[in-house]
Amino acid sequence: MKDKLNNVLDWLKGKSVDYADARYLRLESESIRVTDNIVDTLTKDVNVGVGIRVINNGAWGFAAVASLSEGEIKKAANKALQTARASASAKKTDAKLAKEKAHKDFYKSPCEKDPFAIPVDEKIGLLLEISDRLRNNSKIKTAEASLDFFKTKKIFCSTEGAEIEQDLIESGAGYTVIAYDGKEVQKRSYPNSHRGDYATRGYEFIEGMKLMENIDRTREEAVKLLTAENCPDAETDIIICGSQMALQVHESCGHPSELDRVLGTEISLAGGSFMQLDGLNKLKYGSDIVNIYADATIPGALGSFGYDDEGVKAQRAPIIKNGVHVGYLTSRETAPVIGQTSNGTMRADGWNRLPLIRMTNINLEPGEWELEALIADTKNGIFFDMNKSWSIDDKRLNFQFGTECAWEIKNGKLGKIFKNPLYTGMTPKFWNSCDAICNRKYWHIWGVPNCGKGEPMQVARVAHGAAPARFRKVKVGVSK
Amino acid sequence: MIGKDKLFSTFEKVAKASKADETEIVYIGTNSGLTRFANSTIHQNVNEINAKILFRTVLGKKIGVASTNSLALVDLKATLGNSIEIAKCQKENKYFPGLPGPEQYVEINTYCENTAAFSPKDRAKQVKKVFVRANRRKFTAAGAFATGDGEIAVFNSKGVRCYQPVTSASLNIIAMSDTSSGYAVGLSRKVNDIEAVALADVAVEKAYLAKKPKPLAAGDYEIILEPAAVATLFEWVNYIGLGSKSFIDKTSFLSDNIGKKIMDETITIYDDGNDTSAIAMPFDFEGVSKKKVYFIQGGIGKGVAFDRISGCREGVPSTGHALTANDHGQGAIPLNLFIGAGQKTVAEMIASVKRGVLVTRFHYINGFIDTPKAVLTGMTRDGTFLIEEGKIKHGIKNLRFTDSMLRAFSNVRGISKEQSLIPAWWESVGCISAPTIHLSSFKFTGTTDF
Repeated sequence: MKDKLNNVLDWLKGKSVDYADARYLRLESESIRVTDNIVDTLTKDVNVGVGIRVINNGAWGFAAVASLSEGEIKKAANKALQTARASASAKKTDAKLAKEKAHKDFYKSPCEKDPFAIPVDEKIGLLLEISDRLRNNSKIKTAEASLDFFKTKKIFCSTEGAEIEQDLIESGAGYTVIAYDGKEVQKRSYPNSHRGDYATRGYEFIEGMKLMENIDRTREEAVKLLTAENCPDAETDIIICGSQMALQVHESCGHPSELDRVLGTEISLAGGSFMQLDGLNKLKYGSDIVNIYADATIPGALGSFGYDDEGVKAQRAPIIKNGVHVGYLTSRETAPVIGQTSNGTMRADGWNRLPLIRMTNINLEPGEWELEALIADTKNGIFFDMNKSWSIDDKRLNFQFGTECAWEIKNGKLGKIFKNPLYTGMTPKFWNSCDAICNRKYWHIWGVPNCGKGEPMQVARVAHGAAPARFRKVKVGVSK
Repeated sequence: MIGKDKLFSTFEKVAKASKADETEIVYIGTNSGLTRFANSTIHQNVNEINAKILFRTVLGKKIGVASTNSLALVDLKATLGNSIEIAKCQKENKYFPGLPGPEQYVEINTYCENTAAFSPKDRAKQVKKVFVRANRRKFTAAGAFATGDGEIAVFNSKGVRCYQPVTSASLNIIAMSDTSSGYAVGLSRKVNDIEAVALADVAVEKAYLAKKPKPLAAGDYEIILEPAAVATLFEWVNYIGLGSKSFIDKTSFLSDNIGKKIMDETITIYDDGNDTSAIAMPFDFEGVSKKKVYFIQGGIGKGVAFDRISGCREGVPSTGHALTANDHGQGAIPLNLFIGAGQKTVAEMIASVKRGVLVTRFHYINGFIDTPKAVLTGMTRDGTFLIEEGKIKHGIKNLRFTDSMLRAFSNVRGISKEQSLIPAWWESVGCISAPTIHLSSFKFTGTTDF
């Protein structure tokens, strides 16, 4: 395959292109879901093709084809070239790329047990047992449990001489239970909502998730929510659980630190960013204890890889240091705008899509607190647990999150459970009110398998390391 | 384009080798292009030739699904084999009524030669016109112009042979000033219907009117929702409430409200895949012909969409709203949604407002807060205005709403005669046809800085 890619790149060089790269990708995926003891999803998909990116006369073109024949790949290369020529007719400045070493390498993600080698019967059996036990209460209306696996083979070659092969395996699992009493409907999930938790690891990740141990608690909390009070309207101190903190980082720090958004090129769909260039190294994004960094090198985390999809080696880069905005997620084209080289975040969700700046593992550094001590230190407040809804404005300032449930904190102790909890705020004010983050014991890298961006829409698998954290005087409960 | 005859003869050949009791093959082929622009320059320009071929094989009541993007005979046979192996591992699905037999579907033209032939050069030419219009106000333009063609075919061993060639074209434009933005969108099967200059002028005029926006306190306001705003609300209302899964799970606001008044009597919401005034598609991904389904009629809850499995579970026939077999766990979802028109003009609506808000569109709506009450939250975007004494006064900074759609749409003051086609994520097989709607009360719960 490498030869086919290099042959087409040679052909493009003969056409005097400024730059070109070619990506082969084969994605094999398996998805299993059991709903109420019925296997309603059991699918396998294989998706193969080649995408070619060209800069010609300072303008971009991209074409992708679901074929591995040299003739079809060359046709796609020609289409990319013609498209670049069309783009050039409406360009303002020439597209230029930051320098990058032409790597020749092979990367394989860590995997002890290939999930595709585990018998399907065994995987179905696990989900049926979970579904059956989740239904062990007459108020349970629906119980769903799912497994997802992805096996990716990538080959990247460029006119600069890069030749990179990567083999990645990703696994995820989770379950949700819906309780109904004739009037009220509530749900609880484990280990996270929206299909659970994911990692760039093998089946050993699923085995370590403590899926069975959390069934009874998850089910009974869903039932308990049926008779719970609504979350009150108030301005109060809040503690947010680790998985919800992951989404808070995702929406209010990850996305606004994507440099393409800052430069306006994502305006048409996802929007822009409040983290403007003039605020770099100045903007007090959060309190002094807030440290957030991008790190694609963490073995097994869902946002980890060897090289991004323009051949840049995976890196660790600071975004927020002691509360100050110090960095962006960048690409070879955008990094020179801030006088840097790329920090390796360009990824496409398949051979048929253009790489975009995507989050890798955007992590909030753990703090010093034990969770029990943090709750005990909070006189009055609310503890928010596990995401249910999310929304943020197109510059990533005003956000509102809902969680599956919340608990009252009264005199340093967890009290009654609340249903339909919401909290809302403005990003910098909110992060500047962060006065406590739990320690590494509570820190976990949460895999987020469904980050949407771009036109045509692309879905990226990213991750966020986070621990529970406390925020002062936050507006909660605006659902009435 | 591969064509009906070649596709079905290939599938006949492959299906002949199937050892399953029943075999279904669904083909979705695409040849698409998209020109993306921002800061009045083209920065992404992409093309894709791709396909998805899904096999659903049945052994008794056990179902296996496997898919590939290769039409090579060897890959098709391997994928068929995979689906049978999966079916063998499956448990019986007691709700599966078997694959459907053939039925007549409405023959409609959903293909336009001009759209299929539209090139990157053609798209660039139109996009440059947008830049010129934006530049007249010293604004910049961002957006995307997508064109493409494709084929959808459903084949099964019980004789279903459905085939539909399709095209689609859409252009969204955001005009940007230093303090404001304005939005316009066009969608059609026919690329010549997309009037780039006219759309650019709408976006530019909105951005101009919205310049130097003033803050408005959160609160309960009378509101006029333009078609894009209505469509984005109902895209979520659809997702959380008009499909079979949410109905069965009891998370839908319709689950316990069939036959009850849940919105204003002027509100009617239905799905009609055969209405060529929108992005029509006459059959679903099981090969069942699309039926017109009313979800809310005259404000009364009427029903939801079903595929064959969810229909069997509820004891009703499929309404022709099945997704592809790999998504059957999601149940049926309507893709050709209509929000019924009224009698008013937009000018009449604005003139009748003493103090209220006009919303062009919403951003990042989420509807999982309290689905039985259809509580949604989201932000306004790209043109939000204060109306006073019947006139648009000035642009306002964006607002967050959090409100029950059942409550908000129970207080309708007017609905426009005109409807617009608004793209949704399922653009090539449907869209949302929406009017402008005037409500007497809409709850804004937050503000932002721009």
